Amino acid sequence: MARMKFICDAERCIECNGCATACKNEHEVPWGVNRRRLITVNDGKPGERSISVACMHCSDAPCMAVCPVDCFYKTEEGVVLHDKDLCIGCGYCFYACPFGAPQFPQAGAFGLRGKMDKCTFCAGGPEENHSKAEFTKYGRNRIAEGKLPACAEMCSTKALLAGDGAVIESIYKTRVQRRGKGDEIWGWAMAYKRADAPAAGVKS
Amino acid sequence: MIIRKLGLIGVGCAVFAFAGCGEIDQKAKVEKVYAGKKDTRAFEDARFGGDRRKWETTLAERSKAQNEYLRTELRTEAK
Repeated sequence: MARMKFICDAERCIECNGCATACKNEHEVPWGVNRRRLITVNDGKPGERSISVACMHCSDAPCMAVCPVDCFYKTEEGVVLHDKDLCIGCGYCFYACPFGAPQFPQAGAFGLRGKMDKCTFCAGGPEENHSKAEFTKYGRNRIAEGKLPACAEMCSTKALLAGDGAVIESIYKTRVQRRGKGDEIWGWAMAYKRADAPAAGVKS
Repeated sequence: MIIRKLGLIGVGCAVFAFAGCGEIDQKAKVEKVYAGKKDTRAFEDARFGGDRRKWETTLAERSKAQNEYLRTELRTEAK
């Protein structure tokens, strides 16, 4: 069974923001909510690196663990989704998430938080597939159309890969072998715990 | 007799002093259960008609297309 994952190749990302733009456009995400964003380290200096960050659909998701109303669920493919009808906008998931994935639209006066919004891996949410309700609350359901997330498919340098963990792992492995570097940057073994992988930071 | 009493008091004090040093089990006692609405599965879409294998194959093919090494090699072979 497929286990959906993202990986961003820091050696390839050129910080074009195409992924963030594709996401915004595909799901008509409101102003102030960024399901995907670019993080750049050593900006403007030698050794500058960028990665595209969104919900990583964790295997043991901390957002699920802390939610007081249990609005999170995980699909059979390992995509972490949530029910907006249950969400109370408390923000616990935001504090728990190591990637800053949960976003809260400003709703009403005094900076009141709306219901949490985050990357859905373009898999919609708990509404009828392709219904208006699903699109309004969660965005387009590309996975049910047999497509990959818009961010990855739009990526011009193919830095951002999405899909079944086993498939994108083999793609990334091919790249690392061809260019002879890159495995240590992301820490694949640490993130995804491949059984035969060397420990993070250790070159084989 | 006094030494025995002092010994007992000492043991009592030690038990009291170390009583707070134990590790309390912090694991959640109750498993988290999703409380929201049921979602329809991706392959239940009209395009795939509930055929999970077909959906997985479509997605896998699309995932493999992200590998441009594969694409360029195929193009070179075609020439």
